[in-house]
Amino acid sequence: MAPTARHGKHAKAGCWDPVAKGLGWGTMSGATFGYLKALVVEDNVHMRTLLRSLLTALGMKHVYEAANGTDAFELLREKRPDLVLSDLTMKPMDGIAFTRQVRLSENSPNPYVPIIMITGHTERHKVEAARDAGVTEFLAKPITAQNLFLRIAEVVERPRPYVRCAEYFGPDRRRRTEEDYGGPRRRHDDFGNDMETK
Amino acid sequence: MTGRKGAKPTPRRRGNAVEIPPGAYPVFGAADAAQLMSALRNPTIAANVARVIESKADEMRAAALAHIDRLNAAAQLADIGAIFEQAHEIRGLAGNAGLAATGRIANGLCRYLDAVGRAHLDAERSLVTLHLEAIARAAHAEDEATRLGDTVANELANLVEKKLAEINLSARR
Repeated sequence: MAPTARHGKHAKAGCWDPVAKGLGWGTMSGATFGYLKALVVEDNVHMRTLLRSLLTALGMKHVYEAANGTDAFELLREKRPDLVLSDLTMKPMDGIAFTRQVRLSENSPNPYVPIIMITGHTERHKVEAARDAGVTEFLAKPITAQNLFLRIAEVVERPRPYVRCAEYFGPDRRRRTEEDYGGPRRRHDDFGNDMETK
Repeated sequence: MTGRKGAKPTPRRRGNAVEIPPGAYPVFGAADAAQLMSALRNPTIAANVARVIESKADEMRAAALAHIDRLNAAAQLADIGAIFEQAHEIRGLAGNAGLAATGRIANGLCRYLDAVGRAHLDAERSLVTLHLEAIARAAHAEDEATRLGDTVANELANLVEKKLAEINLSARR
């Protein structure tokens, strides 16, 4: 959707206005699937090549690569990818610091970009730190077609609400509501969309 | 997706937080999403992707074996940081290299080194050596998963769990 007077440069100033950051309102690049852009952030060249090949085999024509978070942030600003696949452990900037920068930096071109963190055999405290930095989904190693597709499908089909509070900005970290769950609701916000909180 | 049908999603306050529903921030457009989902559900594309993964297995295996050489070099220097880095690379590559057991053993070593590092303890040389030897043997075994790897990986995993429990206990005291 094209920006209107209510958005973009005419919108109220605020660091989270996506239109002011060059993005359309409501959708991402607005391009067709073949023009969707992905960014792979991985320090291991073999794994990086594998991920790039998989996304290309999936039909993505624009796949960019970075070997660490610092380079990835530059590419994010330059190429404006629609999806990021990132490793967790890298130097000099790891996947956690990269995610935090994407979500929180005033220089971030798109704080809402989905970030799929590639883990696997990873220490639990690091996975928790990644979640708290604002990672959207986790993709476990070994990489399989099924797991990769499931994670991408998750961000495409069921994008999560973002939450902004004093300590956090990123995708809602709470578990999704189980539709077939028949038990009692425990919190006022368990009513989700049925209840507006003023 | 969220909110009433047809209504434009808008941010709303929830306690001390603001919730921004999809659509109030940029998400995949309907056309993009439909095409992407169609590709994701296409069995031919899935088969192509699986073939790509399979075709890379030898390359991943060679890379994992090269990291095992570097791991042993790091061990010669007793460089714990480098040992962790190489073991981390091995565990990352192993799964896609057909070296699942090797990856599990390398993971156990990483978990142990991470725990002792965080607890400011010295790593036990014997435990590190056990892992290094097991990684080298498992990775070079013809059928690493069934002949040797799984059994050794399970034994070492049990040992690491005990050590981690000891470290946690000492950290609580």
